[in-house]
Order: sequence, then structure tokens, then C-alpha cells
Amino acid sequence: MFSKYFLSLIFTLLFFVSFGALAQEKPVLNIYTYDSFAADWGPGPKLKEKFEQNCNCTINLIAASNSISSLRKIQLEGEQTKADILLGIDTSIAAQALETGLFIKHEIDVSDINIPNAWSSDYFVPFDYGYFAFVYNKEKLKNPPTSFADLIKQDIKIIVQDPRSSTPGLGLVLWIKSIYKEQAKNIWSELKPKIVTMTKGWSESYNLFLKGEADMVLSYTTSPAYHKIVENDNRFEFAQFEKGHYLQIEVGAIVKSSKNQALAKQFLVWLISEEAQEIIPTTNWMYPVANIELPKGFMEQAKPKKALLIDEVIVFENSEAWVLEMLDAFK
Amino acid sequence: MLEVKDIYFHYEKQKQDYRYDFSLGKGEIIAISGVSGAGKSTLLDLIAGFLMPNKGEINLNDQDILSLPPEKRPVSILFQNDNLFEHLSVNKNIALGVLGNENSNENQAAISNALKDVGLENFGNQLASKLSGGQKQRVALARTLLRNRPILLLDEPFTGLDEKTAKDMQALLKKLVKQHKWHAIIVTHNKYDANAMGAKNYVMKNAILQS
Amino acid sequence: MLLNNKRKILANSNRKALGIIIALSIGALIIALFLAILNVANIIPLSAKSTSPDIIHLVRMSTIQALLSTGLSLMVGIMLAWALNRLEFFGRKIIIALFASAIVTPGIVIALGLIDVWGREGIISDFLQIFGIGWDFSIFGLFGILFAHTILNGAFAATILLARLEAIELQKLKIAQSLALPPLKRFLLLDLPTIKNTIPALGAIIFLLAFTSFPIVLMLGGGPSNQTLEVAIYSAVRLSFDLKLAVQLSLVQLVLCLLIIMPAIIFNQDNIRAGISSNHRWQENGFSKFMQITILIVGIFAFMLPIISILLNLFSMEFFALVLRPSFWRATITSLTLGASSAVLTLFIAIIISQAKIALHGKISKALIALPLYVYLIIPALVLSLGFYILARQLQISNSIIAPFVLILGNTLLALPFAVAILAPSLEAINKRYNKLLGSLNLSSLSRWRFVEWPLLGREIGIVLALAFSFSLGDLGIISLFGTNEFTTLPWAMFQASGAYRNNDAGIIGAILLLIIFTVFLVLPVIFRKFSNVRS
Repeated sequence: MFSKYFLSLIFTLLFFVSFGALAQEKPVLNIYTYDSFAADWGPGPKLKEKFEQNCNCTINLIAASNSISSLRKIQLEGEQTKADILLGIDTSIAAQALETGLFIKHEIDVSDINIPNAWSSDYFVPFDYGYFAFVYNKEKLKNPPTSFADLIKQDIKIIVQDPRSSTPGLGLVLWIKSIYKEQAKNIWSELKPKIVTMTKGWSESYNLFLKGEADMVLSYTTSPAYHKIVENDNRFEFAQFEKGHYLQIEVGAIVKSSKNQALAKQFLVWLISEEAQEIIPTTNWMYPVANIELPKGFMEQAKPKKALLIDEVIVFENSEAWVLEMLDAFK
Repeated sequence: MLEVKDIYFHYEKQKQDYRYDFSLGKGEIIAISGVSGAGKSTLLDLIAGFLMPNKGEINLNDQDILSLPPEKRPVSILFQNDNLFEHLSVNKNIALGVLGNENSNENQAAISNALKDVGLENFGNQLASKLSGGQKQRVALARTLLRNRPILLLDEPFTGLDEKTAKDMQALLKKLVKQHKWHAIIVTHNKYDANAMGAKNYVMKNAILQS
Repeated sequence: MLLNNKRKILANSNRKALGIIIALSIGALIIALFLAILNVANIIPLSAKSTSPDIIHLVRMSTIQALLSTGLSLMVGIMLAWALNRLEFFGRKIIIALFASAIVTPGIVIALGLIDVWGREGIISDFLQIFGIGWDFSIFGLFGILFAHTILNGAFAATILLARLEAIELQKLKIAQSLALPPLKRFLLLDLPTIKNTIPALGAIIFLLAFTSFPIVLMLGGGPSNQTLEVAIYSAVRLSFDLKLAVQLSLVQLVLCLLIIMPAIIFNQDNIRAGISSNHRWQENGFSKFMQITILIVGIFAFMLPIISILLNLFSMEFFALVLRPSFWRATITSLTLGASSAVLTLFIAIIISQAKIALHGKISKALIALPLYVYLIIPALVLSLGFYILARQLQISNSIIAPFVLILGNTLLALPFAVAILAPSLEAINKRYNKLLGSLNLSSLSRWRFVEWPLLGREIGIVLALAFSFSLGDLGIISLFGTNEFTTLPWAMFQASGAYRNNDAGIIGAILLLIIFTVFLVLPVIFRKFSNVRS
């Protein structure tokens, strides 16, 4: 009977091998990105479909569990990487990505795009952005805090993410640092009793919040829009902090070793066009960079009044020390 | 008088009924032979309470014992092996047969008396695992002495013993059963064993106990 | 006679040689993975300033947490095994199968189920609210971690210990029952000597699981004050991409864990007896029965409530929409295929290693052959899959080709220590019992397996297959580096869904995963016992 099992095992494996060897004729554009971007319901498949209509090419989305992992993949693969484009890393690791020397200047005219703080870079093309924020259920929390100081004063429980394993988690470290500078550690000490738990990723946090384990969760200003548009649920809002919200800008870059650089550039140009940008808000739940009309769910709550952003080179040099400083406050 | 009256028993998933009907008086021994699987040990399990008959009665001196759980039945059992806890001393193993304070003078005396009766006077502090097969059986017998239950069930107690040891053991058994007026049932392959003890012979044939 | 002996020795040495070769290959693979990482660590530019984390603090916290988890799990396991051994009730087999599957149920799924039950707005809180009682209990913090670990590992310990209790010799049980040993004495004389030998190795495995636990610790830990070394390793890879540091930290974890578990592995002498476990159940009465029922009810509730709350997701409105999606089926088929392949491979290797372990003499050499298995369990999955990834690059093998192989191999290696722990004692018992007979019959290694070992090991084989299948089914470590759009698995789909607000979808997939795991654990051992006995 074992021989039967082994036969079926061998067939299974052959099946996978033949999968990989499928012949492809059209030029293939390999895009390394994060998982929810490439998921069925994410922007990836829709962008792929639209772009392929005109390019006579095939887009291949290769997803890692998060944007940092996709950068790591390219770093590991080095010169031999199949990647043509890296899509979805944010400004907090842009300087680190630049340092690797694996990307080339994009030479795309980005003067038309519309992002807060007029962020720009020769290497990275911004294609959407959002702000970190604390999201709450307005039926349960009547007086949302308006600042970290206010949050500390109130009897509120929050859930956040670990900066060592999560992008919003690192975002919160930068957010507090950008407002409180040398005082950041004190703020963390005072936040400590408010924090129910610090999860590995955003999804666990958000899940716990929806299960009612905390009054607020560290997420994005656009999270309420998801509930409004997809679930028709108007209970969720984000707490407007007067001193501003930390900005997350997602960018794309062309890989130096790519053999399809022209095609890659063509894709990025198209990505910031109105046609592509229309797809972003309700699939990636971020703000578009083109001047398009936002869906109603996005408009119901004002964007943050002030966008905070620390220069990426400073972030690059200090983020680890800042994370350790935060961990110290928890000992 | 131990009466096993018209007992019927069948295992789940088996159609065959095992049937037993006999009686034996105080100080008597019966020996049951038969091929393996014939239902010899099943009888012991029924009397000891590990199995419940589908039909029939078992009475000791006109008192029903079927309604009692195994631990309350007036029964001592001896198997071919595994009668002792090997990690305990001989004394401790025997003491398991008495309730109450095993260290009381009275119990200590009873234990050493029982050991004397089975011919193992100075073995009390030995570990059970250090004993020979025949010695182990005798320690187990000492324990049944202490418990002094009226029914003694023995499941192939001589198998695995050498001829001389088996003979000694048989003589000892015969003496003790007489002395304490037990009702003894021995399951055995060997007819000579049975004769040596002056036992009545029964045989399991076609699932029925026959004399 | 001389010839016979020679052949027997030959069969034995064949078994030894094969086992040693495989154990060495696993060891070599682990070293190769480390070297591959170190190799690229030199050429990848480090991020600005690498600052080392406070390792001593992390190690201290990890050790305290793991020791407490182990102690509690063993206690709960002994109590549950005790109760299950004494009681007979409808559905007993199902409960045992469910407990057995605890070790492979994805920790994060159980953790979410726990929140459903014990959380601020959980079932218990809702229930108490009816009576106007406030629920001011927080599951977060060290307590929450211990709670989750104890439920998962306690149930696992219970199944292992129960198997030992059920293997107590029938005659001994009957003698003890006829002697009317009181419950405490029965436990001390019959049960304790039987499970005593199992506890060190079982404790070692539970310690490892608790020490390297990651998502549960982060989710229920309540903040960075309760964390494990594993987090620091994760951070070294993700945040700073300091691969050298990641390897160093992994080695620290390796050395620490080995120091703690090595004595347990070496002095582990699991001398259980061969034989089919008896159906004889000696129930107790009065206070001890009351205690057993209480323990069992509490145990079943603690374990089942979170699971039921997850399974309720199956009745969600979105169930059909999800199930009708082709990508869902692609992921399901991939997952099942990978699971089946790695189950067969695990069984194959586990048998060889167990046989070699038995053929070897001396505690040290027996421990050494099992060592590579434990080593693999100790090193974080992230580091291992990184090693695989780099190794595949260096060998110039395309990702899409190697991905399924790595997944199968990686999860096989994860399941192996458990598989050997289940298989080896029973195999050893058979060998001890029939050693002389087998020797005199002059059976070859293969026919010895075919006619003696395989027919007697049906149930264990079923459990090993179920275990390995489920390990691979629940994998989130390796797939996170190797997954692509074409190559997705169910847990990966779950992860994707929960990362995009789709908690309902994630919940449904989690429930489906649990359902598959339970089914496999319930069905495989029974099928294989029947199947193997038919042939004997």
C-alpha cells in the first residue's frame, strides 16, 4: 500500500513542477508586493486586468506577508532577482531600500500628484497614502480623545501593534516621536497602562478591537470608510488628534536589474493616472494620489488637519533606537 | 457453599453463549481445564465481577454476590504473573491486602505470620522485583491469607514454575484451602496439577462447563 | 544458528545505518540553512545602526513563562488523563481525539476563540450580564499566555498520558481492583509509576513549544513586558535585516533550550508494555468520581468553548460566497495535497528513526539520534524558511518549483519529534516483547515491519499521519516566504483575509481548518487500526 502512496506523491510533485515550467511568450512584469495588495479583493488583480488590456504583457504579482518582506526578498535575491517593480513599501523604510542600491531613478513626472507635505523622491513613486489613527466605535465611546495627552487622562483601553513586527506599530513610534521628541519615552510610560495588548500584526489587533476587547485600536484614518462602504456600518470613526497624524505614503520603485525597465516605468506612470487611481480607495483603503473624487464613505469624516512625517533618512538612522526606547518604557 | 447457577454470558459482537452451572463447598477445590479461548478465565471474571452475566445467579452461602462491585466481592485472585507491584517491598505488597493502618503492631504481626505460613519468613523487606517466580506467587498467596476472603480464584498459577516449585505450591495451596475453608477455583492446562491437589475436575467444552 | 544471528545483526545494523544517515542529513540540512543565511549576511548592507536587544531580559521572561506553562500543562494533563481513564461515557472517543488534535490547532485561532469566551464582551461576560454581574477580568498578560498554553498543551499531555494509563497490564488492574485499593493508593501504585517515565520527555516538548511560542505570546501578552526571544529574532530579520544577529539569537535559543531539555531526553526511558490497550474500565465512586466528573467538565468546557465559538463561523452568511470562490478551492486542494504528502513522508522518516533508535544501545546514542529533530523544533520557523529561501536561490532553483518541496520537507521536520515520540515507545515495546521470537524467525527488516510492527501499530500510525498532516495544513511560517498568487494555502488565505478587514472570511477559513484537523484526528487512527489488523 505504501508504494501507492509514493506514486501519488510523485505525481503531485510532477504536477507542481510542470506548473512552474509553463511557457510564457509575452513580456512578463514581475511585481513584488504585500499580500493584501495582491489578494482577490485587493487592487492587484484589478490593476493587472486593466493594464494588461493595453500593454501586450503579463503582470505577475508576487506577494509576501508584508511590504518589508517583499523588499527583503529582493535583497536576498540580489542581482538575480526576477522582480521588476517593488510596490507597497512605505516611507519609513524607503531610505533603507535606497541604501541597498537595488533601485534606479524613476524619471517620472510626479508634479501632478497630490500628497500632503509635498513628499517626493527621485527613486520612489508614491501611489497612495493614509494616516495612522485610533479607530473607535462611536456608540460605545462618546468622548474620543483629541491628543495623546487627552488619551492618557481618560479611562480608555487601546490595542496597538508591536513595532518590531508591524508597520502601523512602527508608525505609532514615529508618530509619538514626531510630536513629543525627547518626551516620547514619558508618553510611552504613561500609555502603558492604557494598552491592553501589543499584537504581532495589524489584523490581530483589529480583530480584537471588533470583538470588543478595547475602546480604540491603532489603525488607519480610512478604516471607518471600509465599514461604511462595504458593510454599511456607520458606527466606526477615527479620533482626530489636534497635533496631527503620522503619514504613511506607499511607494513603488523600479529594480535596477530589471530587463523590462521601460515596461516597469510605463506601469508606474499608469499607476498614478486617474484610471488606475480610481481603483485604489475601495480596494486598498488608502487615499489616492490623483485628483479624483473620493467615494462617499471617505468624505464623511474630514482628513486629518495636520500630516506628520519624519524625514526618511532620520527614520532610517534612528528607528531602532526609538523602538528600544519604547521597549524600555515597558520594562 | 458457592453456587454458580445457570450462568449465561456472551461477549459483545460474539453470538456464542458461555454457560456455567456448578457448586462447591467449603475447603473444596475445583480445577477447570480446556483449550485456550474456551471460556475458563471468563468464569473467573464473572465471579470476580469484572464481567456481568447476561443471565443466572452466583450465591455464596445463599447470599447474592452479583450485585456487589468487584472491590466488594468476597474474592481473592491470583494470576500467572503481575500479581505484585515490583517497585514495592514484599511487606508493602502484602499490606495492600489490609485496610487501616498497615504499620500497626497487629497488622505487622499478621503480615509476618502470613509470610511464615507460605515459607518466606525473612523476605519482608525485599523488593518484589528481586524474587523468583515461585516466591512471587507465594507472596501473593500470603496476601490472600491476610485478606481471608472465602473465594479464591487462581488463573494458571503454576504455569511458568519449575516442577518442584509447582509441587510445593500445590501442597501449600491444598493445605491453606482446607485450613481456611476457602472455595477455590483453579484454571489450569494440566490435569496432573488438579489431581495433586485432590481437586474435582471440570472441563470447558463447546462453551459449556462439564464435569 | 550462527547464520541466523548474523542475519539478525545485519537487519539491525541496516536499520541503524539508515536511521543514522537520515538523522545526520537533517543535522546537515540545519547547518546548511544557517550557513546559507550567514553567507548572504555578509553581502547585504546592514541598516544604519544595529542595536542589540536586551537578551537577558527576554531570556528571563521566556524561561519563567515556559516553566510555568510546562508545570501547569502537566498538572492539567495528569488530571484530565486521570479522569478520562476512570470514566466511561458517550462521546469519550471523540473527546480524546479532540484533545489529541490540540497540539496542531493553529495557536492564533485558539487565542481568538479564547477571547470570544473570556473577553470583555465574550460569552461569559454576556452570560453574567444577564444576572447583572459585571465582568472585570482581563485575559491579557502573563495569565492569558499561561491560560492559552495550558489549554493547548494540557490537552496534548492528557492524550499522551492517557495512552500510557490505558496500557497498564490488565491483570495488575484486576488484582488492584479486587484488593479494593482506594483512589489515592491506586493512583500512586498503578498510575504514577506508569506515567513517571513519560513525563520528562513530554515536559521537554511542552517547554520548547512554550519557549518558542510567538503569536499567542504577542496577542495575549499585554505588551512587551511579557515576550519571548522569538520576537527579538523576528525583529532582527524584519526590522533591521540583521541576519547575523538573527542567527546568533537563534543559536542562543538553541543552546538554552538544549541545556534545559537534554537531560530529559537522555534520561527518558519510556518502558511501556506492548499490547493493545484493554477495554477494562475500573470506575471509582464517591468523592473521587465527583472530582473526575468536575475535572472533565471543566476541561471540556475550557477547551471546547473557544473551539465551538470558532466553528460557529461556519454558519456565517458569507460561507457560500467564500466557498464558491475558485481561489478558495485552489488553496484547499494545495493544502490537502501538501498535508497528505508531508504526512506520508513524516511517517516514513519517523519509522526509520524510531527503528534506529531502538536498535542503538546506550542512552547517549539514543538521545543523539533524536537530537536533530529537537534542534529543528527549537529554531524559529522564520529563520528556517529564510535559510531554505536563500539555499534555493544559491542552488538556482526557481521558487515556484521548490516551494511545495520546501513546504512538505519543512513541515515534516516540524512534525518529526512528535511522530517519533508517539511511535518509538510502542515500537520498542513490540521489539522487547518479540525480540527473541523475531530473532529466531530470522525475519528481514522489511517483513518484520510488514508482519509484526505494522499490524500492531495501526493506531499510532494513524495518529502520526493525522499529526503530520495537520502540521503542514496549518503552516504559516514557510508559506509566508514562498507563497505566490498561484501557490496559496488555506492558512495563507486566512492571513490575507484578516489583513484586509475580512475577519468573517478569516473566521470561516479558520473554522474549516479546525474542522479538517478534527476529522483527520478522529478518522485516521480508527481507519488505520482496522486496516492494519485486517492484514494481520
